Amino acid sequence: MRGLGLLSPEIFLSACALGLLLGDTRALRRPLRRLAGVLPHLAVLACAGAMGLVCLSASVPEELRGAGGLWAVDPMAVFFKILVLGACILVLWLSLDYRSKTPHGHPGSYGALVMLCAVGMMLLVGATDLLLALLAFELVSVSSFILAGFESRDPKSSEGAIKYFLIGAFSTGVMLYGISFYYGATGTTSLAAAQAAARTHAPLVLLAALFWIVGLGFKASLVPFHFWVPDAYEGAPTPITTFLSIAPKLAALAFLVRVFGHMLPHGVLGLGGLFALLAMLTMTFGNLVAMFQDNVKRLLAYSSIAQAGYILIGLATGDALGREGLLLYCLAYLLMNAGAFAVAIAVGNEDGYELSAYDGLACRSLGLALLMTLFLLSLAGIPPLAGFVGKFYLFAAAVGGGFWLLAVVAVLNSVVSVYYYMRIVVHMFFKEPVRPQAPALGLYLCSSLALAAAGVLLLGIYPEPFVAAVKSSAVLLTIAP
Amino acid sequence: MGILSAIILLPLLGAAIILCVPKDKPRVVQGIAVAALVLDLLLALWALASFDPGTLQMDALSFSFVEKLPWIPSLDIHYHVGADGLSFPLILLTALLSLVAGVYSLNITVRVKEFFFWYLLLETGLLGVFAALDFFLFYLFWELTLVPMYFLIGVWGGPKKEFAAIKFFLFTLFGSVFMLLGILALYFNSTPHTFDMVQLMAAHAGFSREFQILVFLAFYLGLAVKVPAFPFHTWLPLAHVEAPTGVSVLLAGVLLKMGAYGLLRISYSMLPAGFQWFLPVLVIIAFINILYGALCAMDQTDMKKMVAYSSINHMGYCMLGMAAVSSIGFSGAVLQMITHGLITGALFLLVGVVYDRAHTREIGAFGGLGSVVPVYAGIMSLTCFASLGLPGLAGFVSEFLCFLGAFPAWKWVTILSVSGILVTAAFFLRMIEKVFLGPLDSKWEGLPDMNARELLAVLPLTALTVAIGVWPRLALDLMNPTVTYLGRLFPDLFGALR
Repeated sequence: MRGLGLLSPEIFLSACALGLLLGDTRALRRPLRRLAGVLPHLAVLACAGAMGLVCLSASVPEELRGAGGLWAVDPMAVFFKILVLGACILVLWLSLDYRSKTPHGHPGSYGALVMLCAVGMMLLVGATDLLLALLAFELVSVSSFILAGFESRDPKSSEGAIKYFLIGAFSTGVMLYGISFYYGATGTTSLAAAQAAARTHAPLVLLAALFWIVGLGFKASLVPFHFWVPDAYEGAPTPITTFLSIAPKLAALAFLVRVFGHMLPHGVLGLGGLFALLAMLTMTFGNLVAMFQDNVKRLLAYSSIAQAGYILIGLATGDALGREGLLLYCLAYLLMNAGAFAVAIAVGNEDGYELSAYDGLACRSLGLALLMTLFLLSLAGIPPLAGFVGKFYLFAAAVGGGFWLLAVVAVLNSVVSVYYYMRIVVHMFFKEPVRPQAPALGLYLCSSLALAAAGVLLLGIYPEPFVAAVKSSAVLLTIAP
Repeated sequence: MGILSAIILLPLLGAAIILCVPKDKPRVVQGIAVAALVLDLLLALWALASFDPGTLQMDALSFSFVEKLPWIPSLDIHYHVGADGLSFPLILLTALLSLVAGVYSLNITVRVKEFFFWYLLLETGLLGVFAALDFFLFYLFWELTLVPMYFLIGVWGGPKKEFAAIKFFLFTLFGSVFMLLGILALYFNSTPHTFDMVQLMAAHAGFSREFQILVFLAFYLGLAVKVPAFPFHTWLPLAHVEAPTGVSVLLAGVLLKMGAYGLLRISYSMLPAGFQWFLPVLVIIAFINILYGALCAMDQTDMKKMVAYSSINHMGYCMLGMAAVSSIGFSGAVLQMITHGLITGALFLLVGVVYDRAHTREIGAFGGLGSVVPVYAGIMSLTCFASLGLPGLAGFVSEFLCFLGAFPAWKWVTILSVSGILVTAAFFLRMIEKVFLGPLDSKWEGLPDMNARELLAVLPLTALTVAIGVWPRLALDLMNPTVTYLGRLFPDLFGALR
């Protein structure tokens, strides 16, 4: 049962999620009333425990790493599992300090859904079989549909969730359709047969691959598969927006890397140009539309679309440098995006999510305004912050791989993005405050902010340990076909 | 930690301390800021004592205060700083101008804490650009100047501050991202791959001419915006006019020099074939800068705008000196960077002085001020004379050297460029006449003369202007070995010009 042992973090997390779900049931709610406040903390603890189990595999690689027929536990999978769990912990923390106009009152199922979603993503980033990938994909999708519509009394939340659901269901169908082509070509759903099949049945495998890209493109919110993003992000509870903008996107990108950076490298199907095109479209469209947003959640939603475009550069170049850059940028993106959303939650709890809520934030609370500036500048790629190091790596990969057009489009996009990130800064620093009180900051919000800011600065100023970690994490294990 | 790192990081330390001071204690903030600025200048002067400019016969650049520590070994990026005759005078200039402009900025009363936080951060960025010898570090400092400047213009600026701030930010960033691509291109085409600027200066033999031209253009976009070279200058009048006085001083005095410094340090030293290919265009652009800047300045009725346009004109002389590609031209160009920083810095301070009192900068609004504010009138006239190139003052020496260097290589352009001096003289003399001479408008009768803070800020610059004018070796001795070496380089490419 060595193969199953590799899955111990996922099994642990699923068990915890199911246990947490019990806490919300009608039968147990009354006797456990006193414990209702503890449930979210238990969720955080469970995620932290799972992260510990994942990290264990780094200490005893010979026992806890390996590749099976369905899944692989290799350095890259471990890296993304840690990112996903980190995102979960941050999001659960943020949820504790999030004040909604329409509170939901289901702390148990809320935490459990986030954890189940995390299980799905952890399986997805390590999947080497399409059937498992599809199951994981569905687990992620279904739990995030519910999370997006969690504030069921808010019509915007329901609208976003329904849009998300319809498009998500469609993308699963497309993905499944692609898998059926692949099965037709190879007679198996294992990706191990992909390279050989691509040589013998090139058109069929190519078609299948295109369908997968479409399906995963929805999840990773690549243009032109991004329609659901702004509405779902705006309607969802803000911590869930944070979650959706980070975790599923990174997981989908990780699976794309596994398939198209490793199992079916560019040399086999020649999709490098397609990914470069997708990257350029995604970043350009996301940035251009973000310029016209007056709601911070929507602005950050479009910014997250653009950010996925930068990440895709690493896939487009297809070499080791690109893959390392992608991993590094994913880490930076997790920190800076979570940080920006944390400030949005702090401000939004009392003043809402319109840009005007940020008027004079520098006078109300200079620290919060400086932190937001830090995260926004990092997202824009200004040194010496995490986003710059990530972009530097990715642009280097593009230049080194000879993708000149991609590199030029990407740097121009960085310039454009500064304009709308600075719009928030203009409101914070150059406008007069409506009221003098500083926004209230809860303990968990403070700690998330501190964690994100420390990470952004550390990764920006002293990236060496992170670069070294990324270099050793960019390894994928191959399974015998 | 070496002395150069101390000079760079001291303002950063000051900024960090200021961040911890409560915002209702502006006096404490000002005290810390001034202490940091004074200490920084003292450190720079102390470094001057042990600075070794090298010898005239040296066959490689000699850097003093070199520190090289591994920073990101996985990418072969080092914390590598050092100063030679090209960068050290600029470091001194930065420390000096930061101090005097900081002292002048003590009159800022709104959001003092934030102001000095950004101000000190800016100083670190400026110093770092000149000291960095690793491209990653260089780019980091280069961009580090952007954000503080954005806030300094945007919060404490004039009526159109927000537009000026974002225009400045986007213009400069647009240029610098191409510079980033250029840096990456150099990295991937050097063997072994390196970001080390000193190694890259020796690597040009391995680059093809086409590659050098392409990378030159990428760098040029970033540098020309800063210089600013026509047609990338449009951000300058706006930003200079909207910025608060102290910040205008740093903008004109130091920030513009980053571009000119980069042209010599990077474009010329690392991409000589690209530089040679671009040279005819560079001369034309220098000429346009000289004449167009001067004519635009002549057209202004706002004193600050006039000084801003005169900066475009003066940077034109600097580029003309560079286009000479000879030791004389280069020493003119580098000296012009220094003297322009001193003179134009003083001019911006002086315009600020009158604006603080009269709340207008319109030349036509004044008249006969010479009898009311004699000290001010004297210093202002002296600085204007220096700026228009009166012999005996610093501006003359550098402009003369630029023309002298450029003449053998570009006779006609140089002859035509001299007309720029005429126009410059015309608008400065016209301003002196309209503001200080003639009948006194009665509403200015009670105008107080310069106070101690303002004198403290301006007099060091004036003194240096006179000193360099009378005894140019004061500055030239620092830079001569380096520029002589640079001027001797690449005889096969530029020999025909010299």
